[in-house]
Amino acid sequence: MALIPAQPSENPGVKKDMEAVAALDRDAELMLRVREGDDVSFALLLERHRGPVIHFLYRMVLNPSVSEELAQEVFLRVYRSRATYEPTAKFTTWLFRIATHLALNWVRDGKKEKGQESLDEQVVDGVDRQVRDRQPTIEQEMLYEVKMEEVRRAIEALPAKQRAAVLMHKYEELEYVQIARALSCSESAVKSLLFRAYESLRASLAHLAR
Amino acid sequence: MNCPTKTNEDAEILLDYCAQALSPVQTAEFEIHLKQCADCSQLVAAQKEVWGALDAWTPVPVSVNFDARLYARIAQEQTAPAWQRWLRRIFQPPVPYPLWKSAVPLIAACAVLAAGLAVRMPDAGNAAHPQLRADKVDIEKVEQTLEDFDILTPPVQAPAGSM
Repeated sequence: MALIPAQPSENPGVKKDMEAVAALDRDAELMLRVREGDDVSFALLLERHRGPVIHFLYRMVLNPSVSEELAQEVFLRVYRSRATYEPTAKFTTWLFRIATHLALNWVRDGKKEKGQESLDEQVVDGVDRQVRDRQPTIEQEMLYEVKMEEVRRAIEALPAKQRAAVLMHKYEELEYVQIARALSCSESAVKSLLFRAYESLRASLAHLAR
Repeated sequence: MNCPTKTNEDAEILLDYCAQALSPVQTAEFEIHLKQCADCSQLVAAQKEVWGALDAWTPVPVSVNFDARLYARIAQEQTAPAWQRWLRRIFQPPVPYPLWKSAVPLIAACAVLAAGLAVRMPDAGNAAHPQLRADKVDIEKVEQTLEDFDILTPPVQAPAGSM
C-alpha cells in the first residue's frame, strides 16, 4: 500500500460529506479520506479499532486464532468497500455490524468445533501469546483460571445474538441504537435481548460472588 | 418514578445504572428509589456482581504481525484479476443485504414471466377443460349445418289459386 500523508480533501463532494459527518464522528471522516485513496487514514482506523474488534470477536468465538482471522476479514471488507462507503451512521456501528455478521455466521456454521483451543493456550500461529505480565502466585493463577472458565462458559451458553448484544454493550459500550443496527433489529428488541442475557448471567455467575 | 422491576417499564434503567450510563439527575433519582425498593436493590447488587466478573475477563493480546498479514492480504487482493474482485464485492458484501431486498428482483422477474405467459396463451384457462371447449365447437358446427341446410332447402311452393 502506498503511504500518502493525510491531507484535507480537494474533492467538493467529499468536503460536503465531511461537513455532514463532522458532528457524527471522526472515524467516518477518516473513512471518507480512505474513500479518496488516503491509506494513512486506513492505518489510523486500523490502529483505533483493531483491538476492540479482535477482543469482541475473541469473546464471541472463544478462539484467539479464529478471532484474528475474522478480524482480518472485517478490515479487508472495510477496505474493499471504501469506494462505496456512505457515512449514514457512526463508523463503529458499521464496523461492528460487519464483525457481528461474520461472528454470527461462524457460530451458526458450527465452526467452533474445529480447532477449539483452551484459554490458557500460549502459542498460536508462531506468535507467543503472553496473557498477563504480572507474576501472580500459583493459587491466584488457579483461582483466576477457574473464575474465567466460569465466565467463558456462561457467555458461551448464551444464544449467539444475546452474546453479541452483551459484548457490544458491556465491553464496547455501544449505544442501544448502534447494537440494534449491528444486529439488524429494533432498539426495543435489543433491550429485551440484553435483559434476558443479563438475567441468565446473573443466574449462572451468582456463585462467583460468594 | 415507576419501579422498573415491578412495572417492567424502563427496565434498561437498571442496566444503565450499573453501566454508569445514567445522567447525574437520573442516577440520584434512581438511588432514592433503590433505598425504598428491596427488589431493585437486590437486582442491582446481582447485576454489579455480573459486571465485576465480566470486567475480570481480559482478552488475549493481538498478534504482533496482525497488520502485516492484513496489508499482505490487501496487496494480494489488489493484484487479483478484476473479475475476481468484482465477484468478491458481490458475494462478500460488508454487511448482508436485507432478505426483502433480495426478494424484490425475484418477485419482479416472476411477475414479468407470468404476464408474458398470459399474453402468449390467452386461452390457457380453457386448456384445463378440453371437454368444455369441444362441446362449444360442436354447437357452432351444428348451428352452421342447420343454416346451410336452410339455404339448400328449396322454398315451399305456395298452392295454386292461393294468391
